[in-house]
Amino acid sequence: MNSKEEVFAGAKDIINQLAVIIRTAAIHDPGNIAVTSAIDRFIAIVNPLITSEGEVVLELRGEFFYLGEARIRYSLEYLPNFDFLIREFKKREMGSIVFKDVLKAEDMQSFLKVFISSVFSSSPFEAITEGMNDIDNLSVGKLRKIREEKVEGEVDIRKVVKKSYFNAVSYTRGVINKIKSGEKVSIKKAKRVVESMVDMILEEEQLLLGMTAIKDYDEYTYHHSVNVSILSIALGQRLGLNKKTLTELGLVALFHDMGKIEIPNEILNKPASFTDDEWNTMKRHPFWGVRAILRLRGFDSTSIRAAIVAFEHHINYDHSGYPGTKKPLDLDFYSKIISLADQYDGMTSSRVYSRIPMPPDRALSLMMERAGTQLDPILFKFFINMIGVFPVGTLVMLDTKELGLVYQSDAMFLDRPKVLVIINNKGEKVDGYIVDLTEKDTNGKHLRTIIKTMDSNKYKINLAEYLL
Amino acid sequence: MELLDDIKAAKDVINALMKAKKAFRMYPENNPMYAKTIEDTYAKFGSFFDYRDDLTLKIKQNEIFCDTEQVYFNQQKEDNLALFFFKDGLREISFKKGFSIQELEEFLKILTVDYDREVLDDDVVTLLWERDFHNIRYVVDEAFLVEDEDYEVEAVREVKDKAVETDELTRAYEDAFKEEGVKDISIVPLSDKDLHMLVKELEKNNYNKMDKLLTIIFEMLYQADSKGDYEDVVHFLNDAIEYSMKHGDLETTTNIIKRTKETVDDPAISGEAKKYLNLVFSFLGSDTAIKLLGEFLDSGIEIEDRIFADYLKFLDKNAIQPFITILGELKSIPARKNVINALIALGKKDIQSLAKGLYDSRWYVVRNIIYIIGKIGDKKAVEYLLKTVNHGDIRVRKEVIKALGELGTQNVLQTLRDCLDDSDWQVRTSAARALGNVRSAAAKSIILRKVLDQDFRKNDFNEKKEFYEILSHWKDNDVVEFLMKTLKSRSFFNRATNDENRACAAYCLGLMGNKDALPLLYKARESNNKLLREYSYTAIKRIEHEQ
Ligand SMILES: [Fe+2]
Ligand SMILES: [Fe+2]
Repeated sequence: MNSKEEVFAGAKDIINQLAVIIRTAAIHDPGNIAVTSAIDRFIAIVNPLITSEGEVVLELRGEFFYLGEARIRYSLEYLPNFDFLIREFKKREMGSIVFKDVLKAEDMQSFLKVFISSVFSSSPFEAITEGMNDIDNLSVGKLRKIREEKVEGEVDIRKVVKKSYFNAVSYTRGVINKIKSGEKVSIKKAKRVVESMVDMILEEEQLLLGMTAIKDYDEYTYHHSVNVSILSIALGQRLGLNKKTLTELGLVALFHDMGKIEIPNEILNKPASFTDDEWNTMKRHPFWGVRAILRLRGFDSTSIRAAIVAFEHHINYDHSGYPGTKKPLDLDFYSKIISLADQYDGMTSSRVYSRIPMPPDRALSLMMERAGTQLDPILFKFFINMIGVFPVGTLVMLDTKELGLVYQSDAMFLDRPKVLVIINNKGEKVDGYIVDLTEKDTNGKHLRTIIKTMDSNKYKINLAEYLL
Repeated sequence: MELLDDIKAAKDVINALMKAKKAFRMYPENNPMYAKTIEDTYAKFGSFFDYRDDLTLKIKQNEIFCDTEQVYFNQQKEDNLALFFFKDGLREISFKKGFSIQELEEFLKILTVDYDREVLDDDVVTLLWERDFHNIRYVVDEAFLVEDEDYEVEAVREVKDKAVETDELTRAYEDAFKEEGVKDISIVPLSDKDLHMLVKELEKNNYNKMDKLLTIIFEMLYQADSKGDYEDVVHFLNDAIEYSMKHGDLETTTNIIKRTKETVDDPAISGEAKKYLNLVFSFLGSDTAIKLLGEFLDSGIEIEDRIFADYLKFLDKNAIQPFITILGELKSIPARKNVINALIALGKKDIQSLAKGLYDSRWYVVRNIIYIIGKIGDKKAVEYLLKTVNHGDIRVRKEVIKALGELGTQNVLQTLRDCLDDSDWQVRTSAARALGNVRSAAAKSIILRKVLDQDFRKNDFNEKKEFYEILSHWKDNDVVEFLMKTLKSRSFFNRATNDENRACAAYCLGLMGNKDALPLLYKARESNNKLLREYSYTAIKRIEHEQ
């Protein structure tokens, strides 16, 4: 009997091979040997699974494929083909594919023909289903919106996520205070806190990312640490890092600003801009971070990574940042991820770098300009995919003349998030209702589209009131 | 009241787990008891799954429940399975039918980890989480992780309170009509090249990161501006050495010290900084560092000769004493061999420190030190060695005599000659062998004189034979003459003893391949004495064969 692990290892290969077939079929004639042998290989993987499981259902939900109810994990070498297949599915609004009985090469051939030609149709999914009437052992389903059936339970999930988020912040605050007073801290607990964040991100990524959008806490330093950790884990997940690595990344991110414990609170929490001297003090925090981490933990594999990140997170991809070094350092992978998360969270708050917070979408477009210079351009692509073009908390005007706040980004359509409307189309304040920008009317036209973005800080709009 | 069958089966599972927890600590994986423990425990799970599809255990501080039935109770702190789970926040654990024997083994390993070890950063929940068991589910209460229970409520209230009475929503709404429209943010899809680069980056992510951290630590040195900064750097470098030593990674240790050396040699570095960096070199040879080396040498980790030699180059003479200390503690032969090689290399720098090892209370250490001094071949070492000639342990004496012979200076002869008169035959033969190694004319005459000695002639045959054998090193006339004379000699008293000596002479002449001796040997072969006959016969064969 197949063990569950084997089934999942196989699932990864099914996705991979399906992508290979579609790629090859797009450039070769269906009868070409390259295509037929790819199909044969595919069938050889799928059929044993059909025999043991009855049928094989592959479903695209958000950015991930599922086999039945379980998400198919992949590692980076599979990413090109996963990514390709996701795009090909989305283009056709196709969400699932089901294989049953015994799959034959002819079934795959006919499917490929309609699948490839459907891209030219105005309603591609319908074109596929029509063309597939006479295929017995293969069927497709339309792209479903994720969790549309779960609206009722959502309130509770939000509560759980919120609790988890505040636990992490409160834990971080406790730890930093302990460190300041010279007490020993247990890394076991830190690990547990990060592990529960990793779980949350695997399951409720968007909700947890939403928690990072609120910026006006008094003790922002602790929130900043947790936010950077969350954003880094979420980015790491997109890169296919495994759970254990995500934990390490999250842990390292949580302590990236450790060096700030040596900066006097008067400077750290200063409401006005820094003097040159104060800036120079601030710029020492990478050094102090290395020192604090190594003093606290000594050497082990995690503390080595943490010290490196503490030192490098302001150096920048093009080495334009600080501290300067004798020889340019080849930046650590974690440093690159964490400095993206750090910049984003820092820019959108009023306490980290600048005293004037930037609206999230502005921060994002600024970061886009920096991609390739200060920021790693490839990782930035992943970052924007994760956070959406209009990140949570962005104040937006819709073409329906409704004004609202981005509430949750949509994993499929980056520019079509869910929006919490706070002023209706008559210009009246309302209690807040959520609209989904992916919704279409009967003619296939979107009901609402974002036309403008604005700075919520300028109008003293309190996000917490709406999002918490 | 009778227990229900399924509850009984659940109790059996718990008992089996308790038993397995003990057994896993006792037996290594290759012990048959290890496999049997797994099988027995698995059978108990199997029996439970005959009744139900999943076994859910609710965990309290001192109790475990299956449904509402208590299946475990223990108020003690020691060996309390309930508490073991409970303390890390585990409140429920369930095993699903389909739980495989491999999963059980992994699970039992988690039960047996020594969580109190300081270096371990994992608790039970972390390990369960990392393993991602398909057929084990669990519920945890994270409350104990929370530092401040009220934080959530306070923080939320605080941010919400910041809302100004009259936010300017209406103004925002009006402004919105004046704002520019959104620019189309197009997301460039990932190219294959992007992904290829990422894959490479990820590969690099698994490399050893110590080198990078070292670069950073040296960077800290270059930018240091206080004594405290220098002290930190030294401290971290020492820690890094300790860390790599603990992991048996001598190559990294050597790399750390190499880079320290490069930095010391950098003209840009200040004298002050150099002074501090030199502390790192002394740490490398400190008791702490050498002890760690000893631990991993003894653990059987193999070290390439090249790496070990590279490492040795950076050690200074302060390492000699710590090496002598561990030499007496190491259990494995290859480990001791490495330490001996290290001491041979280091001892050259400071024979005096090495010689202190001759006063070690452990005879085997003294013997090793003698061997080491002998290998170094420093003539100055003789005076230290001479002091151990009268050591209480015969094994030491034998070694020192041998070493003295190898050193072969004029001043050892007297001592070696005295040893020829020792009451212990082992000492006497060792001394003779040592003299044989010296090969000088003086050494020769000492032995010659000895074998001529009337008392010596009465010694045991094997000892005498040994002495004669040593004489064969000198193929000089006086030796040959002496041997021939001995072979010819006749005695009416003590004839047996005399024949022994003749046999020895025959033996020696044979070894020397002296054909002039053949006539005498032919004659001796006809002797009534069996010993003489045999030895003459062998000698003849040997000489004739060589011709
Ligand atoms: Fe920072
Ligand atoms: Fe930061």
